[in-house]
Order: sequence, then C-alpha cells, then structure tokens
Amino acid sequence: MLQYYLPIIVLFVLAFGFAAFSVGAASFTGPKRYNRAKYDAYECGIEPAPQPMGGGRFPIKFYLTAMLFIVFDIEIIFLYPWAVAFGRLGVFGLVEMVLFIATVFVAYAYVWRRGGLEWD
Amino acid sequence: MPTDIQAPSIAYLPLLPILIVFGAATLGVLVEAFVPAHQRRLSQVVVAVAGLVASLGAVIYLAADGTSRLVAESALAIDGPALFLQGTLCVLGIGSILLLSERRLDRSGGVVVSQAANAPGSREDLRLAESSHVQTEVYPLAMFALGGMLLFPACNNLLLMFVALEVLSLPLYLMAGLARRRRLLSQEAALKYFLLGAFASAFFLYGVALLYGYAGSVDLGDILTATSQAGKSDGLLYLGVAMLGVGLLFKVGAVPFQAWTPDVYQGSPTPVTALMAACTKVAAFGALLRVFYVGFGTSQWDWRPMLWAVAILTMVVGAILAVTQTDVKRMLAYSSIAHTGFILVGVIAINKSGLSGTLFYLLTYGFTTIASFAVVGLVRDSAGEATHLAQWAGLGKRSPLVAGVFALLLFALAGIPLTSGFMAKFAVFKAATEGGATALVVVGVIASAVTAFFYARVVVLMFFQEPTVDGPTVAVPSAYTAVTIAVGVAFTVILGIVPQPVLDLAGKAATFIR
Amino acid sequence: MRLTDSTQLPLTSFGHEPFWLTIAKALFVFVLLVVLTLFTIVFERKVVSWMQQRTGPNRVGPRGYLQSLADGLKLALKEEIIPALADKPVYILAPVVSAVPAFLAFSVIPFGPKVNVGGHETALQLTDMPIGVLFILACSSVGVFGIVLAGWSSGSTYPLLGALRSAAQVISYEVAMGLSFVAVFLYAGSLSTSEIVAAQHDRWFIITLPISFLIYAVAMVGETNRAPFDLPEAESELVGGFHTEYTSLKFAMFFLAEYINVITVSALATTMFLGGWRPPPFLSRVEFLSTGYFPIVWFLLKVVGFIFFFIWLRGTLPRLRYDQFMKLGWKVLIPVSLVWILLVAAIRTLTNQVPSSRDRFTYIALFMAVVFAVFLVWPQKKAPTEEEVEAESALVPVEQGGFPLPPLDLVVPPMPRSLQLTPTSPPNSEEAPRG
Repeated sequence: MLQYYLPIIVLFVLAFGFAAFSVGAASFTGPKRYNRAKYDAYECGIEPAPQPMGGGRFPIKFYLTAMLFIVFDIEIIFLYPWAVAFGRLGVFGLVEMVLFIATVFVAYAYVWRRGGLEWD
Repeated sequence: MPTDIQAPSIAYLPLLPILIVFGAATLGVLVEAFVPAHQRRLSQVVVAVAGLVASLGAVIYLAADGTSRLVAESALAIDGPALFLQGTLCVLGIGSILLLSERRLDRSGGVVVSQAANAPGSREDLRLAESSHVQTEVYPLAMFALGGMLLFPACNNLLLMFVALEVLSLPLYLMAGLARRRRLLSQEAALKYFLLGAFASAFFLYGVALLYGYAGSVDLGDILTATSQAGKSDGLLYLGVAMLGVGLLFKVGAVPFQAWTPDVYQGSPTPVTALMAACTKVAAFGALLRVFYVGFGTSQWDWRPMLWAVAILTMVVGAILAVTQTDVKRMLAYSSIAHTGFILVGVIAINKSGLSGTLFYLLTYGFTTIASFAVVGLVRDSAGEATHLAQWAGLGKRSPLVAGVFALLLFALAGIPLTSGFMAKFAVFKAATEGGATALVVVGVIASAVTAFFYARVVVLMFFQEPTVDGPTVAVPSAYTAVTIAVGVAFTVILGIVPQPVLDLAGKAATFIR
Repeated sequence: MRLTDSTQLPLTSFGHEPFWLTIAKALFVFVLLVVLTLFTIVFERKVVSWMQQRTGPNRVGPRGYLQSLADGLKLALKEEIIPALADKPVYILAPVVSAVPAFLAFSVIPFGPKVNVGGHETALQLTDMPIGVLFILACSSVGVFGIVLAGWSSGSTYPLLGALRSAAQVISYEVAMGLSFVAVFLYAGSLSTSEIVAAQHDRWFIITLPISFLIYAVAMVGETNRAPFDLPEAESELVGGFHTEYTSLKFAMFFLAEYINVITVSALATTMFLGGWRPPPFLSRVEFLSTGYFPIVWFLLKVVGFIFFFIWLRGTLPRLRYDQFMKLGWKVLIPVSLVWILLVAAIRTLTNQVPSSRDRFTYIALFMAVVFAVFLVWPQKKAPTEEEVEAESALVPVEQGGFPLPPLDLVVPPMPRSLQLTPTSPPNSEEAPRG
C-alpha cells in the first residue's frame, strides 16, 4: 500500500530542498540598502492603514462560501466512490444517487433563492 | 481490487413514517425557497402538520399489520416499541408545531425571532423585535428534528443511531436560540446546549468505537451475540457502555449530565422547550431502551449498577433543586429531570412490564409537559412571558380557567391519583418491584413526595394569594394553542381514569425484535 | 481487474522498482517542470506580444528564449525586504508551502508508456495509486494555504484581500473541477491516472464527455488564478494581490508555483480528457508512435497546446468582475455539472441494463418528453416594463453626444488617519495638512 508513496517522498525532498534553498538564499544573494519606508506595508505611496493582525473583520460572504464549499466537497467525496463502483451497482446505484443529489439540490435551491450565492 | 458489491435490499414500506417526515421537512425547505413571503407561514404549517398526520397514519397502518422486522440490512428495527414511540412523537410533534404557529400571544405576531444573527439589544434587533416580520425556517428545522427523533428509537445500528442523534440535535441547538424576547438568554441557551451536546455526542461516538472494538460490529444484534461469548476484552465493553450511556443520558437529561436542562429550557422559545421536553425525551428514552434491552440485554449486571446510581441521583437532585426554583420554566425543567429519574426506574426493571410501563410513562409525560409549557406561554407581561413565580401569585383569581388547567397539569406531574401521572408512576414502580429494584422504588416514592411539595406550592401561590398590582395578564390564545392544551389536558385526565386501553396497547407493543 | 493493454504496467507495479530509478524519475519530473516553467514564461510573453503585434523579448539568448532564465537570475540578485509588520515565520514559510505541492501534484501524471531502463521495466510516470486524482486535488488544496498564509502574514491590506479572494475563488472552482471528474471516473471505473489513460485507448473522453471537459476547462483557469479569472492579483484593484509584499527569490517561488500549477492542470486535462500520452486513436496502430519514449512527445504537445490556450485567454479576454465570477462558478458550473453527471449515469445504466435498442429509444423519448414538459412550465423571467427601463436610464445622466457620464459631484471622504496606526501620537497633532 505505502510503496506508492515512496517516489512522492523523494520528489518532496527534492522540491522542498529547492524551495527552502531559494527562500533561504534570498537574503544572501541580494544587496542590503536600509530605508525605513521599504519596510512599511505597501499602499501605493500613501501612509498604510493595515488591519490589526488577525483581528480584522472579513465580509461574511467568505464564511458562507467556505461553508457551501464544505457541503459540496462532501457531496463530491460521496460521488467519487459511487462513480468508481458504478458499473457494479446497477439501477440501485443510480436511484440512490438521484435521491442524494436531489436532496443536495433542495438545499442549493434554498441558498440560491435566499441570496446566499449573491456577491455584491 | 474490491470484490463484487452487493446492492443492499431496502424495504421502503416500514420506513414510511420516517420518510414522510423527512420528505415534509425537505418540502418545507423548498417552500421557504419558492413560496412568496406572505404565504410562507401558512404553507409551512400545512406542510408540517400534514406530514406528521400522514406519518401517524403510516405508523397506525404498520402497527395494525403487526409484524416486527429488521429493515435496511438490519440497521433499523421497526417493532412494537419503535412504532409506539413513533406514533407518540407524531402526535406530540403536531402539538409542538401548533404551538410554534401561535400568533396571538406576542404583540408582534410570532414566537420566534425574525433574524437570529443580530446581536441582542442592537438597534436592528430591537427594530425587528417590534416588526411583524417572522422567520419561518423554524418549521423545517422542527421537522428535521422530529425526523431524527422518529429514526432514533428505531435504530438497531449504533452508527445510524449516531446519525439520528445528530439529525435530531443540530436543529434543536439552533431552535434554542430563536426566542423572540430575552434574546441574550436564548442565545446563551443555544450556545450551552450546542457545546454540551457536541461534547455528549463525542462521548457517544467514542463509546460506539470502543464497542466496535469489542464486538467487531456496530449492530446491536451482533453486540448481543458478542456479550454471550467468552474471550472478549471486557474492558472495552465496560468503557463502551459507559460512554454510550453518557451520550444517551445527556439527551434524556439525567444527573450528572443534567446541567444544561434548566438553562436551555428557560432560554428557548416556549414552544421549542415543549418540543424538547416532550419529544426529545421520548426519542432519547426509546434509544436508551433499545440499546440496553437489545444490545446489552444479557450483560445487565455490567450496567445495571451504573443506571441505579444515575436513577437515584436524578430523582433526588431533580426533586430537591426544583424546590429552590423561582422561575416557572426552570422549575418545570427540574421537574423534567426528576421525571427522567422515574422513567429510569422503569428502564432498570428489565422486564416486559418495565418496558411497557416506560412506554406508557413517556406517552403520558409527553402530553402533560407539552400542555404545561403551552400554559406557561400564556401568562405574559409587557416584556414577554412572565415566568417568575412571584408574578404568578393570585393567578387563580384573575383567570380561574388557566390556573385550574395548570393546577391539573401540575397534579399530573406530581402523580396525584385520577391523573395520568399517577397511572404512569404506578406502572413503572410496579414493574421495578417485580424486577427486584425495591430500594429504587422507595427512593422514587420519597422523591415523588418532595416533588408534590413544590407543585402544591405553585397551586397555593396561584389560588390562595392576592394578585400583585402590576401582575401579568393571561393572553387569549388562538385555536392553535387552545387545541394543544385541550388535547394535552384531555389525555391527562382520560389516561388517569381509564388507562387500560393504552396500557394494553403499550403491553402489546413491548417486545423488541432482536 | 481492468484490462490494461501491453503498453502499460498494472497499478500494483508502481513503487517496486530499484531506488536509483525512483530518484532518476523524480529528478526527471523536477527538471521537466522547471524547464517547462522557464519555457512557459517566455512562451507566454512571445505569444501575447504576437497577439498584440509587438516583438516581445528578443535580447537574451537565441531569439530571446533565455529571457526567463535571465529574469530568474535577476530576481535572485534583488534585495530581500521583509515588511516590519509581517509575521516572520509564516511569511518565510508561505512561498515554500505554495511551491512544494505544486511540484508534488505532477508526480501521479503519466507522461509515457512502459519502457525498459537498464533492464528494468518501468512506466514513464513517477508513481500512481488507486486514488491518484484525489492526490492531485489534495495538492492543489494545500497550495491554497500558501496563498492564504502569504496574504495573512504580510501584515498589509492588499495582500490580505487578495488572499481571501484567492481562497474563495479556488474553493469555489474546486467544486466544479471535482464534479467534472465524476463522469470520467464513471467511465474509467478508477481514480488512478494510469488506468484512466488506459481506458481512453480507443476513444478519448473529450469525445464521450464533452460537457465535463468544458466545465473542467473553465474550472482549471479559475483554479489557477489565471486571466480572465486572475482576480486575486487584479492589478487595478489590489496592486499585486497576495504577493504584493514579496520580493526577490520568495516572489520567484510564487511565480514558479503559479506556472507549475498551470502546467499541472494542463497535464491533468491531457490525462483525463485527451488520452494522456496516447497518440490519436487512428495512429495507435503505428507501433513506433505509441510505444517506447516517443509518446512523451504526444504528451508534451497536448500540454503545450493547453498552455497556449491559457495564454490565448489571457491575450483575448478582459478580467471578470468578482460577482460575475462567483456567479459563473456557483450558479452555472455546479448545477450544470450535477445535471450532467446524472445524465451520464442514467445513460450508462440504460445501456447496461436495457439490452434492446428499441426500449432504449423509448426511455430516451420519455425522458426528452419530461424535459420538454419542464421547459414549458418553467416560469419565464418577466421582461422589464417600459417604466422600469425609463427609471433605470434616468439614473445615469446622458450628456455630451450620448455617452453616459459617471456622477461628477462625488466628494472624497476625509481619511480618519489619527484613528489608525499611530496610537502614540497625540490625537490633535498637526497631521491634517499632510497629503
């Protein structure tokens, strides 16, 4: 079972080594010319007004998108094994999946009608 | 490569009551999505009540058929107790839906908040509290919860039981936070219920995992077989049963897992409290009975001492703490804890009369409770419901009818003869004596006496004290609440005088299929 | 067990070869990705410049083809700046988190049939597993962490906004992407990439499943944050998006990750829908074109074709607005793919269960009738009345030869600067005249 993943570990070591080396080397290869303004947050030349770290408030739309994503991702997780085993499930598989997708569609219709998918 | 997959065979007919309720809930979501706002409330009530009535019809049809069977690869057991409880739940569910639909009590026209996400006390919240805008999502939520409750006592498979537990719990967590008045209290209730409920669910799931390790299956029948075999690790069994017990005892509100009950009962909208007190208790006890009678029927010496301790504690703590309460809803919450203890006495009997007694108790208790919470919702002042006991002083002089009805319900809860509560207590205590739990019965009788004291105190307060000057008024309800109260009271009285037909029914139903 | 023809090894053979061969293949994948990235960057600039009738890069190397190498060196020699407000460990980690999964995703992509290397039979594919495609999806999801962490740890407004947008965008399109694969798995009966390629030996899935392919083609552009869906780094709104605060080689890592992602989704599209390394079916009889090392050429041709498609999009289409973009993802792609999956499943069941073709036609006719009936009763959108149109047009003043004008009396609100950033300075210091 795990033998499939050995080559991935090899590639991971390669890729991680490359990325870590590049990121680490960056501070040695470039010049250093100190200027306080360089270390400010970039805001097109005006004085920066950053959100407090980790304490900012985000529009609720992002949270809503995240929750909808979880709903549909779980649907996908159910769909994949079903699709792989589809040939052996026959009509039963089709009927059950129609019921399942129909149920998710009900929730989807509700979210749509209630404006959960609008982004304004 | 996986071997060939067998499509499971599912007999859909025995599942009909459950499927109808879930179908109605789904339809409710569609109503919410597509029906214009001003027609939504009526459509929702019609869909919900029609679904529950149809489900009740299906239950009666199946019960008349009379065959017990395991369906869906023996994940579900449609047998006597399951059908009896499902029927009970349908009727109580109709009552709760009717209470939710009440529009005449609150001056704004609804019992649930119009936007629960608003911060309590914010300008938007205050504005919406006075507007006639009503959110109707509560009906599909209630139906989903009821669907889970119908499923819960029928589960013959612990994993499915967990799913049912979550399906019934999650909508309830949400509904607890929907009270239109006293938003802060309501949100606190929802959060407490959610946190503790999630904790209890985790215990339940852990117990399932341990039992799977013990028996190699989550099927109750297989677990029963495993308990009669030698050479299994008993440690897993004890821990598994204990954790499973924690999850279930939390739902029924037994000590020491009762802490959420008073806060949640007090903070939730009163119709939701009625739903929780009546229906959740019925469903959770159904599951508890099935787990202990079917799955661990032969290993009773392992779990009986634990339930003994829990039952005694529950009765004593519930009865004593109820005496100190000054809020009607909290008092009823503690009384519900005490009743949990009495019902547990029936569970511990582990015989047929114990099972039938418990079923009968759940039925009578459900009706009485739902009616009492409905009455609590009637007594109001300018800030909403007047639940402080001091405000109820002299209610009998102002509104003899309501006070009389409430007194009758309290007598039933106390177990005074000629009410259903007496017959129910008598049934479980008799079964427990037969089952060799006499000590438990003695504690139960003493606890009953204590509870009778504080019920009587409320009656005295209502009838023999002068009303306060700025006391609450008794609102005149619409037919929704009136019907619920009338039916609840009628059952309370009828079952107290001629209980035999229902007792026979419960006796006939009291056989689990293994 | 699925039938694999003689050009392929069975799935269980993966991971059993000698270790030096594994290392050699891993190195090959690594080098291939880096070289392809360098090529893609310069190819993009060339193609876009042709489309815009410019010359494009033409100084470094033959006809300018070494330009991206020079750019990489230049980036390495730039000063590295870590903003004062940045969360330093996360800030440094983010480019790595972004780049590594991009490399890893490619490891299950088959780029050739079995070959003989030093006496060992091996497939031209780093590895494969029964859940191959899930692994790719997992890697692309981990890549999002790099973006989100980069935006968050920069301690700056634009990167944060860019990162949030990016996360929302990628997860929205990941749903559509995941759904578009379901029909492929339905036909292939497996999640393993090599078996999916084997299942396309006589007919590519782009022919059997055109809708799935279209959905995937849209979703892959959204998934990689490329034009016209490059909202996370919309220059006109967000400066540079999540990597605004990154310089030097750290920036290069994000750049690299983005292009490797483009290559990976192209390779995935090739694998899932264009038969992977397999030659077009009419050429599959030719031994020389479908065995040995030559199929790598087919694979690379198809991948470069997709890369050209990406560049073409960038050269042609303007950027979408964010709401339009989300609308496309949630309201078009997802329902269409769900209906499509059911349709494919129904047709498959029909062909499997109903032997006579006459009965099949009856079922299909029945289905068409139902669809038609639904279409007839579907409520139509009300056309706006004359008054509504009038009211709408009255909002926009039309002057100066009929062109709509934006309102000209907007007042820029004063910036409450004293409330932000500088709690130490007294509130009434003479800050007002600045700016």
